[in-house]
Amino acid sequence: MTDEFAPGDLDVQAARPSRWRNLSVVWLVPVLALAVSLAVAWRSFADRGELIEIVFQNAAGVTAGETTLNYREVVIGKVEKVGFTDDLEQVVVTARVDKTIAPFLNSSAQFWVVRPEVSASGVSGLSTVLSGVYIEGTWDRSGGPALTRFQGLEQRPLIGLNNQGTRITLQTEDGSIMSAGMPVFYRGVAVGRTEKPRLDDSGAVVLLEAFVEAPHDRFLTTATRFWDTSGFSVSFGAGGLKLDVGSFATLVTGGIAFDTFFSGGQPIESGQIYELHADRSAAREDAFSRASGNVVTLATTFDGGVSGLSPGTALQYEGLKIGKVSALSAFVTGEGRDMRVNQKVILEVEPELMGLPDDATLADVLDLLEPAVEAGLRARVSSANLLGSSLIVELVEIEDAAPATLDLEADPYPTIPSVQSDLKDINATLEGVMKRVNSLKIEDLIEQAIRAMASIEAIASDERLREVPEQIAGILEDARALIGSEETRALPGELRDTIADLRATVKRITTDGVIERLVSTLKSADAAMANLSTASDEFPALVADLRAVVAKANDLKAQELIESATAFLDSADALIATEDARAVPASLNASLDELRTLLGELREGGAVDNANGALASVRSASDSLDRATQNLPELTARLDRLIARSEDLVTAYGTRSDFNAETLSMLREVRSAARTITALARSLERSPNSILFGK
Amino acid sequence: MTSVADSGAGPQTDTHFRDPPAQAPALTARSAGLVACTSCGRVHRPDEPVCVRCGSALSSRDRKSLQKVWAWLVAGLICYVPANIYTMMRTSMFGYELDSTIVGGVIDLIEYQSYSVAVIVFFASVMIPIGKFIAIAFLAYSVHNPAILGGRARQRLYDVVEFIGRWSMIDVFVVAILSSLVQFNFIATINPGIAAVSFALSVAFTMLSAQSFDSRLIWDADEIADA
Repeated sequence: MTDEFAPGDLDVQAARPSRWRNLSVVWLVPVLALAVSLAVAWRSFADRGELIEIVFQNAAGVTAGETTLNYREVVIGKVEKVGFTDDLEQVVVTARVDKTIAPFLNSSAQFWVVRPEVSASGVSGLSTVLSGVYIEGTWDRSGGPALTRFQGLEQRPLIGLNNQGTRITLQTEDGSIMSAGMPVFYRGVAVGRTEKPRLDDSGAVVLLEAFVEAPHDRFLTTATRFWDTSGFSVSFGAGGLKLDVGSFATLVTGGIAFDTFFSGGQPIESGQIYELHADRSAAREDAFSRASGNVVTLATTFDGGVSGLSPGTALQYEGLKIGKVSALSAFVTGEGRDMRVNQKVILEVEPELMGLPDDATLADVLDLLEPAVEAGLRARVSSANLLGSSLIVELVEIEDAAPATLDLEADPYPTIPSVQSDLKDINATLEGVMKRVNSLKIEDLIEQAIRAMASIEAIASDERLREVPEQIAGILEDARALIGSEETRALPGELRDTIADLRATVKRITTDGVIERLVSTLKSADAAMANLSTASDEFPALVADLRAVVAKANDLKAQELIESATAFLDSADALIATEDARAVPASLNASLDELRTLLGELREGGAVDNANGALASVRSASDSLDRATQNLPELTARLDRLIARSEDLVTAYGTRSDFNAETLSMLREVRSAARTITALARSLERSPNSILFGK
Repeated sequence: MTSVADSGAGPQTDTHFRDPPAQAPALTARSAGLVACTSCGRVHRPDEPVCVRCGSALSSRDRKSLQKVWAWLVAGLICYVPANIYTMMRTSMFGYELDSTIVGGVIDLIEYQSYSVAVIVFFASVMIPIGKFIAIAFLAYSVHNPAILGGRARQRLYDVVEFIGRWSMIDVFVVAILSSLVQFNFIATINPGIAAVSFALSVAFTMLSAQSFDSRLIWDADEIADA
C-alpha cells in the first residue's frame, strides 16, 4: 500500500439524482406479490357463496367445515357452523352455498341429512358410513324468490321433487299398518311409494300421501280403488282356511295396491283423495257402489222385521250392485191384534250403475223404475251367497206379483213395493239338485232288471222247463230279445261287459246299507259344492256351476249303478247257459254254459228251489235298492241339515270356536312378531348407525 | 457460507476482528480507493467495471442493496400471510377431507402427542421465518442506525440468517414428499394446498432478501462512527 493508491476525491454522497430513478427493479416483486395476494383474496371473497341456514331437529353427524351440501350428489356447499336456535329446540346448520346455486333455493327447497339407511326394502347411503353424512337438497323452480332459511327434513323425502308422477292422498281410519315408504303396487308391480301417515285436523282420519310415478299414474282415474296389502290376510270360507301373504317387504313395511275395476273413470288431478280399503274385495265392492257421487234415494218397506239387514247392505239388480242400504227404521201399522212392525229400508241408488248418465236425477231413475214395477219389479231380501248368512236387497222381477206401483208420493222417499223375502232359495236350489239325483233312471234300470229276473224266474219255475229243456232255446231267444231290446241298448256304457258287477253291488248295498253310501255320495257332492263355492263371487254363476258338478257327480253314480245292473244281467245270462248258446253272441256263450250246468242240476231236481230262493233274494235286494232310492227325498232333507250344520260350522268359526280362538291367537302372535320386525325395521331406518355402533 | 466478507482481506482484517475496535481502523478497499471483487476478493482500480479474474461486476458499495433487501423482505412478508391463512396440506382419508394450515398442523401434531415433530415444524415454519423477517429488518435498519448492536454481533446475526434460512423449506419438503408418496385414491390422499406455494415463495424471497444485503454496509457504519 503506497501513496499512489491514496483515496481519491470520491464523492460518495453526490450520486443521487432522483429518488425514483434510484429505485430498484426488485420492488416490482413485492408489488406483484401484493397484487396477486390481493387479487386472490378478493376473488375468494367475491366467489364466496351465500350463507343459508337449515333448521333440523337432529343433525347427527353434521360437522362444521366438513359436511358438504349436495345437490344431485354434487357438492354445492359446505357447512360452516352448527348451532342451535335461540330456544335450543332445534339445530341450525349454517352452510355456504355456491353463488350460482343460491338463487334457486326457494320455498320449494328441501334439505335432509343423508345417512346410511337400512330398511326392509333396501340399503342406501352406505357410502356415508365411511365418508360421513352429508346434506342433500332438492328443489324445483316453483317456489318463488330465493330464501336463506329452510326447515330441514328428518328423512329423505320419499318422493323427489323432480320425479314425474301424480301425488294422491289416501284416507283411512286405521293407520296401524301404514308406514312411510310403503310400495304402491299396480297389478303387483311397484309403481310408487307412500309418505308418512298423518292424522287430519279432526284426528278422525288417517291421511297418507302417496306418489305414483309416471307413466303408471295414467292408470289412476276416478274409478280407481286403493286397498291395503299389508301383512297377510286369512280368510275362512267354504273352501277352507286361506292364507294370503304378499312379498316379504309388504309383510314388514306394508303395501298399498290399486286397480281400476271398471272403465269410464275420469282422469284425475294431482292431490286426488281416495279411500283406502281394507282389502281387494272391499275395494272392488266399493268400486261398483261408488262409481260417482251422484246418488238418488229410494225406500222400500218389508212386512215384518227382517233380521240381518244393516246400513251398507248391497242393493242388487240383475246380480249387479246398484246401490246400498243407507238406513233402516221400523214403523208400526195396524192396531191391537193387527199391529205389525214393518221395516222401512232407505236405499241409495247410483244411477250410473243402472246405466243412466252420470248426472241422472231421481226423476230419471223413477222413469226407469216405474214401468219395471208395473211389470213386476219388487224389492226382496235374499241371501248373498250359498252358505253365508249375509243378506242383500235385490230388485227382482216377480212374474205373478200382486199388482203394485211405485209410490211416488211416499214420504220421505219414493217407495218400491216389496215381496216377502225368499230365504228358502238355497234350500230350494239344493232340493232341485236332489230332485235331479232322484230322477235319475236308476229305478227304471232296477225295475227292468227286476222284470228280467221275474221273467227268468217265471221261466225257471215253469213245470215244462223241467220236462222240456229244449225249450230253453226259446227262453234264450227271449233273453236275447231282452238284451237286444231298445231299453237295454239305451243303457249307456258297456252293458254287456259289466253285468256281473251289479250282483256284487246289490249285495254291498244290502249289507252296507244304501243310505250310508248315498250319504257319503252326497257328502262328496257337498264337498264338490264347497270346493266350487270358494270363488263365490257371483251367486247365479256359482249355482250353475254347482248344479253342473252335482249333475256330473250324479252321472258318475248313475253310471256305477248302471254298470252294476249290467253286471247283474251278465250273470243272469250265465244262469241260463245252454248247448245252443253257440247260436247266441259270443259274449253270452260262457255264461250260457253256466246256465246249462244249472239246468243239469234242475234236471236232477231239487235245485230249482235254490235258484228260486237266490232269485228271490236278488229281487228283495233290488226292492231294497228301490226303497233306498225312494228314500232319496229324505236324504235331501239330511243334506239340507248337513249344509245347515256346515253353515253353523262356518258361523261358529266366525265367533268363538276353539279353532277360531287358536287361529286368532296364532295370528295375533304372528302379527305381533311381524310388528316387532316392523318396529325393528323402522328403528333401523331411523337410526341405522345403531347397527354400526351397537346402540 | 455465502457470506460476503469484507473485501479488505488480509492479516489486517484478522487483526481487526480479533482486536478491539479501539485500535487504529483497518484499511478497507474503499478507504484505499480501490474496489474489491465480492466473488474472488481481488481488488481493482475504481474505474474497473468487471473483475479481471472472475468476471463479476464490480462496485464499491451496492447502492441499491438496501432497497433490494427491503423489497424482497416485503414480498416475503406478503407471501407469508396467505401461507398461514390458506391450506398447507389437504388430507383425504376415506372420503373425509381435512384441510390443515401450518399452525393447524402444529396443533394437530400436539394433539397426537408428537411433541418433538410439532416443535420441529413449529420452529421451521413459524419461528424461523418470523425470526428471519425481524433479523433482516433489523440489519437493514441498523445500517443507518448502528448504535444498537456492535458490528461483530450484526455480522454474526447475518451469518446465522444466511445459514438457517434454507431450513424453513423443511415444511414445504414434507408436503412435497407426502403428496407424492401418499396417493391411494379413496383410502388416503395428500395434496399440497395453496399455502405451500405461498410459503415456498415467502422463504425464497427472504433468502433473496438476506442475499441482497451487502454486509460491507455493517462495517461502513463502523467506519463512519470511528471517523
